[in-house]
Amino acid sequence: MPQDMPPAGGYDAVQYKRNLPSRGLFRPIPLLTVGGALMLYGWYKLVVGIREQNEMAREKMWSRIHLIPLLQAEEDRDLVRRHLADQAREKELLGKNFKVYNSDRYVRPTFAAIPGHVTK
Amino acid sequence: MAARKPVFNQQLLYDTTPLPDSIPKVKEIGASSAPLLSASFFIGARCRDYNDDFMQCKTENPGRGEFECLKEGRRVTRCARSVIDDINKSCLEQFRAHWQCLDNNNHQLWQCRPAEWKLNKCVFENLKLEKVIPDQPKQSTPVHLRETQIFAHRAIPRWEKPFVAPTAAEDKS
Repeated sequence: MPQDMPPAGGYDAVQYKRNLPSRGLFRPIPLLTVGGALMLYGWYKLVVGIREQNEMAREKMWSRIHLIPLLQAEEDRDLVRRHLADQAREKELLGKNFKVYNSDRYVRPTFAAIPGHVTK
Repeated sequence: MAARKPVFNQQLLYDTTPLPDSIPKVKEIGASSAPLLSASFFIGARCRDYNDDFMQCKTENPGRGEFECLKEGRRVTRCARSVIDDINKSCLEQFRAHWQCLDNNNHQLWQCRPAEWKLNKCVFENLKLEKVIPDQPKQSTPVHLRETQIFAHRAIPRWEKPFVAPTAAEDKS
């Protein structure tokens, strides 16, 4: 029995590629260009927004810088008032003022004494 | 220094003892946050020196600043109070419009630019105080003078124009 041989002239070419040409926008170069342009626009808007946010943060920070001495001065006066009242109360109750801390720094009180009578 | 206030969950915690008479009295500023924010740059424009004095005193007296800097503190409060009083006298309407806008908009300055421009104009014409934000980049418009605020909820109407103080405009041209 004769052996199976290829047909005369060889086999046909095997079609392993699709033959669908991409057209118009859907080619690599235009796709990349459009995508890149879109991305650049997005980055541009982002950078503009971030810069504006930075400026607004600066504005807020400076408004606070202008106000801090005012607020701190008011707070300090209140603390001094309470401290002196405490000292006077201690002196009245105990006869003298004890030095509680081994430093001259002002220590913000953790506990507040309750005055006997409150006139409001 | 613990920044914690001695506050208990009780009622009887008022200490109403006034300051002794040896310490001069000063009337407190008595304004809430929105008017203060609205007037802050004018306070800064007029009281910068007093503020710097006070902060320098606090820096030079660490731990004792509460007692040593009372005099500077009174000056700061008096100066800020004078600014608020002057604005109230001459620009009450614009001032109110601006800080109420701030109050209604979560204290976001960029939501209230038209009201702010009107206030700036009035304050500059009456008190010669100008809002300047230091350290801004030179080549861009200062953020409070931009006609489009990209983060604002509502667009600024076209007829609202930012107020640029005349001296600054002459410098630019």
